[in-house]
Amino acid sequence: MNENEYLREILKSQTLAPGSEELKTLQERRAEVEGLLREQFHESSPTIRYGGSKAKGTMIKEAYDLDIISYFPHDDTSAGETLEEIYNNVRDALSTKYYVESKPSSLRLKDADPSNYGVDFHIDVVPGRYTDNSKTDVFLYRSTGEKKRLKTNLDTHIRHIKESGLIEAIQLLKLWRVRNGLRVKHFALELLVIELLKGKRSWVLSRQLKHAWEQLRDNSETISIQDPANPTGNDLSELLNAGIRSELSSVSERTLQIIHDSGWEGVFGPVEENGEDDRGRRIDMLKGAAAGIATPTRPWFLP
Amino acid sequence: MKKHWHKLDPTLLERMKSEVQSVFSNLHFYPAKDRVFIRGSFPVIHEGKILDRYSIEIELPRNYPESLPIVREVGGRIPQTADRHINPTGEACLFLPDERWKVCHPGSSLLDFLNGPVRNFFVGQSLVELGQPWPFGEWSHASVGIIEYYAELLGTKDLATILRYLDYLSKPKIKGHWKCPCGSGRRLRNCHFEELKDLRTKVRQDDAQRSRQRLISLTKTLETVGGGE
Ligand SMILES: [Zn+2]
Ligand SMILES: [Zn+2]
Repeated sequence: MNENEYLREILKSQTLAPGSEELKTLQERRAEVEGLLREQFHESSPTIRYGGSKAKGTMIKEAYDLDIISYFPHDDTSAGETLEEIYNNVRDALSTKYYVESKPSSLRLKDADPSNYGVDFHIDVVPGRYTDNSKTDVFLYRSTGEKKRLKTNLDTHIRHIKESGLIEAIQLLKLWRVRNGLRVKHFALELLVIELLKGKRSWVLSRQLKHAWEQLRDNSETISIQDPANPTGNDLSELLNAGIRSELSSVSERTLQIIHDSGWEGVFGPVEENGEDDRGRRIDMLKGAAAGIATPTRPWFLP
Repeated sequence: MKKHWHKLDPTLLERMKSEVQSVFSNLHFYPAKDRVFIRGSFPVIHEGKILDRYSIEIELPRNYPESLPIVREVGGRIPQTADRHINPTGEACLFLPDERWKVCHPGSSLLDFLNGPVRNFFVGQSLVELGQPWPFGEWSHASVGIIEYYAELLGTKDLATILRYLDYLSKPKIKGHWKCPCGSGRRLRNCHFEELKDLRTKVRQDDAQRSRQRLISLTKTLETVGGGE
């Protein structure tokens, strides 16, 4: 298996098959969120749909982020007079069912059930208001930074990703991101990949990835990204602050070193089977691992 | 002001890093002002096969290795509940600090820590997630877990005896003419002196002090509750 065949196998093992348990769960959650919002804001009839990696086709098994956008008509005020009010009202509505974590423009949903408290659903609800009747551009509330609102356009984002021809590179770099605990946001990483691989869409995957890492290693301080939906209006510098840039740079350097020293498996691991996860077999293997432990420990808890 | 360990000896961090990364290639070191963060994914490996992965963050506090590393699961996969041994700030309670001599003794490395208690903890989490019990059991929460631990270590369930032992384990020095904590009435030198000396090389004074305080406040609470009749 050459390196590009290997990378394809990795991609294959990260694909969420249609009808898979994971996808079904996500669809159920989406329906649940949508139901809740439609009930709470039935007078406003918001536009509710998938955003994020689900809409862009960049979703992978190990790191799925499901955005659910809830955009209100531009002349509607029943969901809130201001963007901030809309954001707060949507948060309050979601809080009746979820443990909601406020992010700058979105609301992260976690499990509020006492036995599963804090488990992250990896769902962000993004409230917003259309700028006009054409229902294309949207204003989002922004709780941090100087500007209290930003203008965006989901369809432009989706097109930007889909037309880049770089979906596979994006997926692998998202896997690289989660495997290495990088804190760069998915959105910023996607834009970064497209920026770094401009004009390189015909390259094979391994060459694309190496190029991206070389750029991040060498030029992490000067690389910049723009929001395709509002290139000059939205300041994305916070998404690539000094800490995030230095993480990207040092992990890129290390990744290239690993490939050089021991090959690609050091980066993405061995190819794992994407079969039905046999529960019984998993339990047996884990019990085997436990049985081999020389110095057992028992967990404790201090409130 | 005392310099932080990783600035006192920069080669120490470099050595630690290369040792850890030779095994865990996806863990990365980020020195911050007075501590070091390690982030990435932690694979649960058995016989060369990766059984699971967890997104973790380990914080080496400013007085590491005096203070234990703080381990957090940051992927949002494990519930932040007592039953899963994750406290509300996201910190994992891998073991009782008093038993650190067993798993995190002076001279042991960060790699030992990862291959030992950290791996144990995540093997357990994966099993619990699949509806299985903790492979080696679990300590009860808070003070009750401390009693369980010392009951096992000292071979007695008597709380007063455990407290006497903890008192001696907390002291900077012990003398042979003192009364033995076992309750025999004999002097220490004629009873459990050697055993106690051995215990004192294991359980740290500060851990013993903390546990003793917890048990004393527990007994006070119990007395208040019991005295209300
Ligand atoms: Zn320091
Ligand atoms: Zn004695």
